[in-house]
Formats: sequence, structure tokens, C-alpha cells
Amino acid sequence: MTSSREIVIKVRGLQKRFGQQIVFDNLNADVYRGEILGLVGASGQGKSVLLRCITGLLKPEAGQIEIFGRDIDALSRFERIAMEARWGVLFQDGALFSALTVLQNIQVPMREHLEIPQPIMDELAFLKLVMVGLPADAAHKYPSELSGGMRKRAGLARALSLDPEIVFLDEPTSGLDPIGAAAFDRLIKRLQRTLGLSVYMVTHDLDSIFTVCDRVAVLADGHIVRTGAPRELRKAPEHPWVEQYFCGERARAVTA
Amino acid sequence: MLKRTEYLVLPTRGSEPGFRIKLEGTVFRLIATGSWTIREAAALDGALKKLRVPIPPSREFTGEIDISAIEELDTAGAWLLQRTSDAWKHSGLGTNYRGATEDFEILLEAVSRGSDVELPKQEKESAVTALASAIQTTFGAIWHEIIALIGFLGALVACLGRTIMHPWQFRPVSFVHHLDKTGLRAVPIITLICVLIGAVIMQQGLVQLKRFGAELLAVNMVAILALREVGVLLTAIMVAGRSGSAFTAEIGSMKMREEIDAMRILGIDPMQTLVLPRVLALMVGLPLLTFVGDMMCLAGGAIMAKIYLGIDIDVYVERLRDAVSLNHFAAGMLKAPFAALIIGIVGCREGLAVEGSAESLGTHVTSAVVKAIFIVIIMDACFAMFLSAIGV
Repeated sequence: MTSSREIVIKVRGLQKRFGQQIVFDNLNADVYRGEILGLVGASGQGKSVLLRCITGLLKPEAGQIEIFGRDIDALSRFERIAMEARWGVLFQDGALFSALTVLQNIQVPMREHLEIPQPIMDELAFLKLVMVGLPADAAHKYPSELSGGMRKRAGLARALSLDPEIVFLDEPTSGLDPIGAAAFDRLIKRLQRTLGLSVYMVTHDLDSIFTVCDRVAVLADGHIVRTGAPRELRKAPEHPWVEQYFCGERARAVTA
Repeated sequence: MLKRTEYLVLPTRGSEPGFRIKLEGTVFRLIATGSWTIREAAALDGALKKLRVPIPPSREFTGEIDISAIEELDTAGAWLLQRTSDAWKHSGLGTNYRGATEDFEILLEAVSRGSDVELPKQEKESAVTALASAIQTTFGAIWHEIIALIGFLGALVACLGRTIMHPWQFRPVSFVHHLDKTGLRAVPIITLICVLIGAVIMQQGLVQLKRFGAELLAVNMVAILALREVGVLLTAIMVAGRSGSAFTAEIGSMKMREEIDAMRILGIDPMQTLVLPRVLALMVGLPLLTFVGDMMCLAGGAIMAKIYLGIDIDVYVERLRDAVSLNHFAAGMLKAPFAALIIGIVGCREGLAVEGSAESLGTHVTSAVVKAIFIVIIMDACFAMFLSAIGV
């Protein structure tokens, strides 16, 4: 059903090792344009490692990663920089630059990649800040003065700074209270619709999966063992870990 | 007001953005084309700024922004359109969008919601008041710092008292660990520096004293300088740079990761566990290092004396015996534990003052080293005056 849609991220035969320990081997995955893909898996299965491989922070031992149809290993330095401007990453705790205010943090990608006069950068950065639901007075605060949830929102605003086509989210709702997490889920869904984003989301949160994800990929034993809509996976898990995850007590409570 | 034929065009080629304005009947129409994205924001902003806001001659006139020819639109482009539309509305020209696809509409709506809020202004002071308040805060900070250091010293003494009352609370493993790290492992670098400086003083002294035919007095000079001042000062400065900064970094990173708070909750006194062993280890280690430094300065002097004057080691030692008394040695060694106390408490206090950010850690490490060296030199000067006043 989804085969006709454009694939924005295509991972084929990926292998990653740390010393003797193989994190994943011959891993294949796809992300389609305009969808929210949730990647789930037990702790230590390499969800974050996969995210780091795709974004180029880690180099895989073997395999191919194509983003927008281009092999990211084969890019020249300038092509790579141009490519990086087309995606944004929200790290687990925001990874904001602690020496800069929130507004300056959001401006960093604009400053690095484009030449825009300062007043416009201020306006655009502030617009992003309002769009992610931060209060106006957060603009001139430093990251250490913000709560965890606000830091995540600020990190998301920075990831969206250049209006990217793909956004990577590393456990966006971890460490937030249920109300804050639900608000963040709604925010992701709304921004995804507003900006036409493709979202690749690493998560543990069952609520997030059932409320925002169009599709879920399950990472276990070094492979993507199952992909599909969350409810489909619950109906037909076909893998012991998937069954435990989607048919356990917590999952039943979420979807009841 | 714009005339009927007047319009402004940006060069439009392929998907390059552009816009033009037309007056059709009673409708001012802004026709936007191409890709309105953040990449083109600077050019578009410049062109839009040059555009005068049309002033409607009567109430029947309306404005319209035709975006049906826009190929690409992102938040930056939407915001520029929104800004233009707001300006037109402000001059009394009711303005609507025309030809928006569903995607564009969602985006424009989100942007219009965002543009309702104002960016709070950052207050800027004048240069004079900024300077005045900078001076005030600097002196305030120095005063605060003096009080805080004295307070910290008091807390440390109280902690030492508690530990003497309950000796089993002392952490011997930590003490030995820090003695090894700050004392024994500093021996090579202290040796190297002191030999070199001793040699340099001897060589410079020889060149100058040769003019008076008093080359042999250079030995006296090196001996007195090394034992009274150079040995202890060099050692203290090296240790402040090496161990004082390490104390701040270790304790500071524990503070950053809330380990100190965890210790307090678990009923472990950070003063007793972290600070006391470090300061005591330094107070034992630094005098020992100073002794090494003193000897190495003299050794450096001996090497130079042999090279330049041909004085053998036994003659050199003979000269030393005439030149220095135990007083000179004691005057130097006396300062070592005080220097150690200063380096230790400044380093630990700065570490405990670290706040959440990585930048704060860097600032405090730097300030620990600078403050420790500064206070050690002041202490040295006070000792020099005091000792010469009582004739030692």
C-alpha cells in the first residue's frame, strides 16, 4: 500500500560493531515522505546507534544509507552540508549550547548555513519558539534556566530552524510528565502536519506510539523484525518481543 | 500610493522567488511566485522593505495576496507574507490570501498565530552605567569571595575537629590516593622545572657578578633564593596549576551531575569525604615537593657552577655550608603548608560553586588556578616582610 510513496530514508544491509559486539547486522529500514515512523526496541538494542548512523555521527561497518535518494557516504563535503540543512535532530536532552540563549540557539543553523540579516533571524527564531509552544520570555533565557520539557521544546525549535524535511527525534517524551508528554506528542503531530515533515522517532513511550506514529519499526536481535501500523502489530505481533511489547499490560491499558 | 502601472519585480527564473503588485479595479493585488523559503528570505525581505505600503484612497479598496503561483513555501516565506499582510491591514487595507493550497493554509494559519506574540526586548544599559555597575559588581564579588573563603576555611576546620573527635570517619584511602596523585606524580615535573630555574639563576648571577670579580657569591645567591623563595613558589604554582585545577574539575563535575546532592541525601558529608582528604593530602604533599624543589634548584646551580666556573661538587657544598643556615631553609619550608591550604581550599570551593553548565565548570577551573596563584604570592610577600622584620 505504501510502495508507491517516496522513500526519504532507505537503509540497506547495515552493519555496526563496537569491537566484538555486533549491534546490528544486515539491517533494512525505510522512512516514507510525510509519515511519522516510530522506532521501538528494548534498551541496548541500538536504537540510538541506528539514529546516529543515519545522521552520520557514527560510521557503519557495512551497508548503505540513502537519504533523498542519495548515498550519504558518496557525498562531497559541500553536498553533505547542504544535505544536513535538510534534516534536523532533537537530541535526548535537547543538547542546547549552554553558552547561548534560547533565541541564539535557534539561530545557530541559520547563521551557519545562510546569510540572513539579524532582525529577520530574530523574528524567525522567535516564530519557531512560539510554534513549539514556549512562552515569549524564554527567548532570552539560558538553557540552564529552563525545565527539562522546555529544553526539549527549545531543542525541537532549533531542529526546525531551517524548515527541514526530515526530523529525527531521540526519545522526545522521555523524562516528561504524562501531561507534558501528551502535549509534546500533540505538538509533534501538529508540526508534522503544518510543515509537512517526515519524522523518525526513537521512543519507548506506548502513548506516543499509539497517538502519533503512522508506522512502527521494531528493532530486535540486530534486525528490524516487524514494521506496520501500531494497531496492526498489536493484532499480529509474530515475534515474542513485539508480542510482549504490544500486548502487555501497559499496551492494553493505553489502547483500552 | 502606487500607480496602476507601477510594480516591482524580482528576477524570476525557474523557482526563484518574486512578486509584483497590480492594482485591478479596487483590489491591490500582490502576486507572489517561485519558492518562498528561508534560503531566499534575505533577498525577499530587502525587496519587500523597499515596497511602499499602498494607502487606500477610499474604503472600497481591498488587498489580496495571490499565492497560487508559489511553488514552495516554508515558515520563513509564510512569515514574510504574513508581515506584508499585517502592514497592509494596518494601513486600512483589508487583506486576504488567494489561491492557497491546503498545506499552505495550515502553515499560514500557524504563522499568523505565532505573529500575535511580541519578542520581549532585552534591556540595554548605557556605557557609563554599565561600567559603574561592572566596577560595583567586581568589588562586591571580591568582598563576597573573601568572606566565602574565610567561611569555607572555618567549615573545613570544624570538619577537621569532628574528624579528630571521631577518627574512624576519616577516609585514609582517599587521602593516600590524593597524596599519590598530587604529590608523588608531581615529582618529575617539579624536578625538571626546578633544575632548569636553578641553572638559569646561577648562570645569570655568574654573568652579572663576574663584573665585580665576585663569581663565587653567585652560589650564595642561588642558595638563599632557592631555599627561601624559588623552591616553594615554583612548587606551589605548579601544584596550583596541576592539582588545584583538578580538584575544581573533579568536584565540579560531581556537582554538575548532582552527585554532591546525592551524597548529602545519603548522609555523607562532602566536606569530610571530598574536601578534607584533598586538602590534607596537599598539606602533606606540598612541603615534601618543596623539599624536592629546593634540592633540585641547588642541583641546577651545581651543574651551572661546574660548567661555567669549574667548581666541583664538594667545593660547591662547602660554599653552601658557609652561605646558608637552617633559618633560610626553614623560612622556605614554613610557607609550604600555608600554600597547600590556600590551593586546596580555593580549588575545592570553586568546585563546589560550579553550576549546571559546562561553561560554568570551565570558568571555575580557570578562576581556581588564577585565585590560588594570586593568593599564594600575596601570602609569600606577607611572609617575606614578617620574617625580615623578626630578623630570620
